[in-house]
Amino acid sequence: MKFIYSLQSEWLKTKRSAASWLCLIGGLFIPTIYLIAFLYKHKTIEGIDGKGAWMIHFGSLMTNMQMFLLPMGVILASSLITQMEFKNNTWKQLHTTPQSLTTIFLSKFTVIALMTAKFFLFFNLGIIISGLIPSLIFNGRMPEETFPWKFFIEENTYVFMACLPIIAIQFLISLQFKNFLVAIGIGLVGLIGTLIGLGNWDQLYVSPYSYVLANAQNINFGMNLHGSSIIYFSIIMLISYVLYIKKKEKG
Amino acid sequence: MYCIETKDLTHAFSETEIVLNKINLQIPEGSIYGFLGPNGAGKTTTLRLILGLLKKQKGEITIFNKPFEGNRIETLSKIGSLIEAPSLYAHLTAKENLLILQKVYGCPKSRIDEVLEIVGLSDTKKKKAGKFSLGMKQRLSIAMALLHNPSLLILDEPTNGLDPNGIIEIRELLKKINKESNVTIVISSHLLSEIEKLVTHLGIIHKGSVLFQGTLEELHIEQSLTSVIRFQTSDNSKAVELISKHNISPKIIENSIVIPTIEKIIIAQINKELVSNNIDVYQINTEKNDLESIFIDLVK
Repeated sequence: MKFIYSLQSEWLKTKRSAASWLCLIGGLFIPTIYLIAFLYKHKTIEGIDGKGAWMIHFGSLMTNMQMFLLPMGVILASSLITQMEFKNNTWKQLHTTPQSLTTIFLSKFTVIALMTAKFFLFFNLGIIISGLIPSLIFNGRMPEETFPWKFFIEENTYVFMACLPIIAIQFLISLQFKNFLVAIGIGLVGLIGTLIGLGNWDQLYVSPYSYVLANAQNINFGMNLHGSSIIYFSIIMLISYVLYIKKKEKG
Repeated sequence: MYCIETKDLTHAFSETEIVLNKINLQIPEGSIYGFLGPNGAGKTTTLRLILGLLKKQKGEITIFNKPFEGNRIETLSKIGSLIEAPSLYAHLTAKENLLILQKVYGCPKSRIDEVLEIVGLSDTKKKKAGKFSLGMKQRLSIAMALLHNPSLLILDEPTNGLDPNGIIEIRELLKKINKESNVTIVISSHLLSEIEKLVTHLGIIHKGSVLFQGTLEELHIEQSLTSVIRFQTSDNSKAVELISKHNISPKIIENSIVIPTIEKIIIAQINKELVSNNIDVYQINTEKNDLESIFIDLVK
């Protein structure tokens, strides 16, 4: 129960925060561009291909999203939420509340995970709207194909799993460095470096930024990509937790 | 019974930089304890150690008769604190900032309006905390410290940024809380004049060591012992001879006679004798007879 209250408290902190706006704007950005393109070209998703229109529409948007905007959004959101305490000088306030350090650590991470889920929610909502509106305008009806809920949920889960190592590494860095630019800088360098190495280096799986990019490009590094992603995420989280607990100054 | 007790609390930021040296604080339950010292004396470090914000290196910390280590959560649930600059979420309103803590402490929501009323911030409505003046931020921080009705309040320089009226209001508020709810209050400051009207007990720290600890009355006794009386006369040498007859050891410093504090009646007697011996007395005054001077003397 303590964890739930702690989580509610952490979630409240994201209200009107930059991370919260980022989720909304970042999530709807690519679907909005697609929607504008459809409207401009007088096209509908059914025009892409007769069969599996929703899946193709989803795949197209998600690939674009995963290649840059999603990892960048996750880097920013993870760093912004953690850095909020440094920026507002509130670590000391948080660490003098009657909560265990484990509860604080877990609730803070959960908020970042929930925020990423919120990002996915807006993105999927955007996908649906960008598919529906052109059909309603140009065909005067909904797309004929039944909406593939199962496919959407499965694909979103895989992408989310591939994002976890980025969330964990950015969470770790943001907890250790007071300067927001350090977290963002490392994230950007890591992401760009991984993008350059993609397809050229077999051991790219050592980069936590590689999993979401590999997922977009259907590269699996010769292993179960999502299982490896979860293991990598768990290792980084464990290191992050130990570093957080052992920190000599807590605000 | 002590609310907070530290034994040989020692802390160093590096091998050469020892910031606290065997600090033994004894803060009585129900007291208003002024923790006084110049900037950099070690006040904030001591308070941060007490609250567990710094990892303890040497010594013991006992709060509510229990060691802090091993009882952290239970102890913190009864403490309200404000350490250095206000800790507020700038993008949230005063109410939202309090709501964050209300969730964690599990106190009734009605307490939010109560504490806002207490610190005079009831009408801030949708104004974000980031837009508050420093004084308002300080008040909100005090409201946050009071939210869960703590038994112990630890306030590190809480009147920073407040105007004179604000300082008086906060002083009266703390007195009221202490009196009505028997809340122990630890308040740090680098200005004795700011807290001498508020505190019942005092600890003076300088360069990481406690130089004085006791009640305000005990400090007043110390004060009278360290005060001196200065005579300015037309003939200091002759005056010294006359004063010495009263078993006093006068000294001539800067063209005036300096003696330790004596009873008023003896001062009057000496004055009469000086005048009757044709010595003109230009001035008799008591020096260093204020607490600020004692504080400065202690930290010299």
